[in-house]
Order: sequence, then C-alpha cells, then structure tokens
Amino acid sequence: MKQSLRRRMFLPLLLLPLFAGIPACEQADDQPVKVGAVLSLTGPGAGLGGPERNGILLAQKLINERGGINGRPLEVIIEDDGSKADIAKSKAEGLIHGENVVALLGPSLTASTGAAASVTNRIGMPQLCMTGLGPEIELSYKSLFHMLPPQSLNARAMLEYLSKGLNARQLGVLYDSGYGQLVMTHIENHAGDYGINIVAAEKFEVGATDVSTQAAKVRAAKPEVVGIIATSPVPFRNARQMRITQPIVSAVGSSSYEYVKGMGEFADDIVFPEFIVSEDPLPHQKEFVDLFVKEYGTLPKTYDAAGWDATHVIAQALSEVGPDAGSEAIAEAIRANRYRGVIASFNFAAPDMTGIELESYTYSKLVDGNYTRLPFTAK
Amino acid sequence: MSPDLLFQSVLTGLTNGFVYGLIGLGIASIFRGTRIINAMQGDFALIGGITAVLLLERQGWPMLPAFVAAVLIGGAAGWLLEVLLVRPLRRRGGTEDSYLLLTLGCAFAVSALVLYFVGRDSHALPGIGGEGIVVIADAAMRIHALWLIAISLAVMLTLRLFYSRTSLGLSMMAAALDPQGALTTGINVPLMRTLTFALGGLVGGLAGILVGPLITVYFDMGLLLTLKGFAAAILGGLANPMGAIVGGVTLGLLESIAIVTISSGYKDVIAMVILIIIMIVMPNGLLGRRTRKGG
Repeated sequence: MKQSLRRRMFLPLLLLPLFAGIPACEQADDQPVKVGAVLSLTGPGAGLGGPERNGILLAQKLINERGGINGRPLEVIIEDDGSKADIAKSKAEGLIHGENVVALLGPSLTASTGAAASVTNRIGMPQLCMTGLGPEIELSYKSLFHMLPPQSLNARAMLEYLSKGLNARQLGVLYDSGYGQLVMTHIENHAGDYGINIVAAEKFEVGATDVSTQAAKVRAAKPEVVGIIATSPVPFRNARQMRITQPIVSAVGSSSYEYVKGMGEFADDIVFPEFIVSEDPLPHQKEFVDLFVKEYGTLPKTYDAAGWDATHVIAQALSEVGPDAGSEAIAEAIRANRYRGVIASFNFAAPDMTGIELESYTYSKLVDGNYTRLPFTAK
Repeated sequence: MSPDLLFQSVLTGLTNGFVYGLIGLGIASIFRGTRIINAMQGDFALIGGITAVLLLERQGWPMLPAFVAAVLIGGAAGWLLEVLLVRPLRRRGGTEDSYLLLTLGCAFAVSALVLYFVGRDSHALPGIGGEGIVVIADAAMRIHALWLIAISLAVMLTLRLFYSRTSLGLSMMAAALDPQGALTTGINVPLMRTLTFALGGLVGGLAGILVGPLITVYFDMGLLLTLKGFAAAILGGLANPMGAIVGGVTLGLLESIAIVTISSGYKDVIAMVILIIIMIVMPNGLLGRRTRKGG
C-alpha cells in the first residue's frame, strides 16, 4: 500500500520534465538573447561608463524596434564595477555563469578590461571592451575586441595636429597618472618622428584638485603649444589661470561635455583629436546623433558612440550566426565583419583588435565653450 | 629654477594649503567636541558646493543668498548626521572604529546620491572676485584665493574665541572632555554633541562654496578633500582648529615646493616623507602642546 502510494506521488514528478520541456521549446524562439555589460557607472570611471550605458541602451532599443536578433529581443544586462578591476571580474563571472549571457560588453577601464578578459578568454566568449589596446597580454586574447583605438594611435593623432596643423616644435605637457600616463608614454615614443621636442612634461595624480604649480612649471619652459591629457577639467582651468596663453591640444579621452562645463569660461582654444562632433555630425553619424538627442535631450560624445557601436557589432554577429551558435562562432563572425560604426570603420581582425585608422580621427576646437569641427585631417 | 617660479609655487602652495586647512578645520572641530573622526567632512563641502550649484544654476538665486543657504544646508547635514546616525550608534555602545566606519559609509552614500540625482558633471562655482587674478612678480594668484585665505583665517580665529570665551563653546568642550562631569553641572551633553556636528557641517558647507570655484564641484570630490584635510588636521594636532590651518598650509607648501624643486611625479612621496618625519619628531602635531592645554 505504502509502495503504491509512493509510486502515485512520484510518478507525476518523473513525468514533469517531459511536460516542462514542451513549453520550454516553444518559448525558446521568443526568449531574449542575453548580452552582459560590465561598466564603470560609479567611481572615477563613471564619466566613461555612464555615456557607454546611454549608447548601449539606445542601441538596444533601436535593435529591438527593428526586429531584434532574428526575431528574438536583445536584452543587455548592465552591471556596475565601481571602477574596480576585481569587481569587474566577479560581475563578468556572474553574468556569464549566472545569467548565461552569450557575449560581454565592456568594461570601461583598462585594468578592468584585463580582469574581465581573463574570464572571457578561458571560454572564448566574445568581449567588446570600451578601451583601447592595453597590456601586451591582450594580444593573445582571441575573443577580446576593442571599441576604441590604442593609445599609440591617440598619441599620433595629437602629434599629427601639433606638427602639421600648428607647425609647432616645442611642446609642454600636463598629464595625469592614469589615462594621461598611457598616452604620454606613446607621445614620448613618437615625438621624434614628428620633429617635436618635449620641453616640459608635468605629471599629477588622477583626481588632483589643483595642478597650478605644474602648470606654472610648464609655462616657465616657454613651449609653443601645450598638451593636456587628463580625465578632469581641473588642469585646463589651472593652465589658463596660470596664464598659459598658448594653444592647448588634448586627447580623445579628455573630450566630454561634462569637462567642458567644469572648464567654465576657460573652455576656449582647446583642440581635440576625436571621433564625433555632434554639433556638426558626419553623414554616417547623423542617425545616431538625432536618436540620441531625441532620447536623452543631450548631444553624444565618443563614449556614448562606443556603447552604441559595441551593441550593434554584437547584434550583427549574433544575427549572422545565430545566438546559440556558440562563443567561437560568434567571435569568428565579429572578426570576419567590417563594421562601419559611428566612431570609425572597425576591422577586428587587425593586430590591434580594432582596426581604427588615423584617418578616422576628426578634429574639434572649443570656441567659447562650443565644439566646432576643424578642417584638419590626419594622414 | 627661477625665483618667479619659486614664488609662484609658494602662492599656489598657500592656496592649496588653506583648502586642506579649511577641511581640516571642520575635522578638528568635530573631533574636539565629540572625539569622533568625521570621514565625511569633505562631503559636507560637497553638500555645500552642490547646494550652491543647484540654487545658482537651476533656481537662479543670486550669489549671496545661494552661498548662505549652502552653508546652512551644510550645517543641517551635520545636525542630521548626529541625530539620525551618530546618536543611535552611541546608545548602542559605538566605538571609535564604528564611528569612523559610519561616517565613511555616509561619505560614499552622499557621493552616490549626488551622482544619481545631480549627475557626474563638474560644476564651476563663481568665485568671489570672479576669475580675476592678481599678478605679483610674474606670479599669479586668483582674487578668490585671497578671499579663501582671509575667510579661513577669520573662521579659525572665530572658532578659537568661541571655544575659549563663550559659555556655549566651553560647554561643548566640557561635554567632549568629561561627559559625566558636564552632565552633573547641568550641561545638555547630547545637545552639545549635536551642535558640534552642526558646527562641523557649517564649516564644511563654507569650505564647499570657497573651494568650489577653485577645484569645481563634482560628485566624488568629498573623499579627496577629506584625505588632505585629515592629513592637515593630524599634522597640526587633531583637536586644535588653528593646528589644522597650520598643518594644511605646511602640507600645501611642501607639495608645491616639491613640484618645482624636484619632480611633480614625486610630489606626494616627498610631502608624505616630510610629514612622517614631523610626526615622529612631534607626535602631537605641530601645535600639539596647545591641544594638551585645552587651547
């Protein structure tokens, strides 16, 4: 009797997976395709991660309005790494093993990119990071792709304008110990090729509240032009307050509306080699700029565009091979595609894992706090 | 190195030193009245600064009322911190460590709230005297920086007189040094502690509107300021508001002169090594003896 009762109780349980399987199969076609994103939404990198999230969410919305990934909606699950590499790694692990995402976007910072890539590389999962090529070990990661150019290219873009746009030979530089240091290393490497002599190079810590003394030291060296590479408006303000009247040339990572706001009345006569001048977008950037303004009421910059481009790159690859094709096939599709993005034309099979070329840079100049496109082109 | 550059570094060091000193002044005031190290003093400055930004940019208030309101909001933040968080923790037997953790947590929370509600933009507050500069022997100094120095000195002297000449100031000191003894003489010790935090908040709010025009106001400025202010307060003698200013100016000058004489890359290393030496030689800080005497 007892045995019969047990059988009666367990029989439905044994049959449950058979019935459960039916709706599961039926649902598979409209289940969202999950892509993870680890971004720096808080901490020192928030100035990058916030715009990247805006670009990602806008792209996700548009892709889903246009039919998603082969009819299935795209769902980007965004996590904040707090600008910390260890958190980036654990968030990536959580997304991959907990949410079963098929690809990863981000992180926003170089150190976090390396940490997350150590996870994605093990399983060959495609990762589209919002940084340029970082440490050399990244070259061995076959499924890691960069949405931004390597710092050597950023440095060369600056030197191109200094030497050919301004015909300058004497350069003074103010740079921070993070992003600034990365670009500065390459400026030092390439300056000789452009006939440029670095007469002063002053470093300050990331987040420094005042760099007036360093600015005064650069001024005292009497350079023809001053380079400022930092993720803060402080050095730009201090340079002008210390009566540096020479033209200032900066780098793409320093170009953002929030920094311009922080510069106040000193946001003038500063040139940026960058990728998008939203006040005067190039034809292939216009749709993105219009949609961005409609969605957020503000103009986008490079990092917003990086998020947009990364989401479109992964969506294109997933649509081609199918979201269930497996990591290797998706990564191979990304490598095989030539994607014309808002930022530039990407060739992820290139040695620097991004394929952005010097010609992709556009040059803008701040005039009374407003970006204006310069007619200069790097070659 | 030219004399002009050296003079410029002294002027810049003085300006930065008073910025550090003003934050240190708030830390020292709260420590003096409660024996609590307040890790969110820089965030009182953030609260003051961001209040001024919102009132000026979004509400269109004139500068003076906006700045006065910003200082008062800083004071209110200090008052709320004590009443809502510090006092309940004290009732549950909070230790020095737990107060430090509490205020550190509050610092992160304030920063996150500003990021969420106001955004990540840096805001340039208008300075007293606008962006005008004075040039002395080819060295430049902002007019606002001169005001910052003058106001910091005035606040320091006012606090000194407040603690030594007014019954309220003496009561606050008594409540901090001997709470039981103060209670027996009829001093409302919990109220004195609340007022101490409110005072620290007022000083922090004032720091926000004075520092904002120099470094801009942004969501994570608080902890950076707290770290420098803490170093200034420790160097000067933690319980002595005058020491915080002296400590801040010492730190600012050391950093600035290290940049022009050696290398900007080693600025912090040089400044901190000298600070360590000072602390070994004078463990109570530069004005430590005055502290022991209660002045």
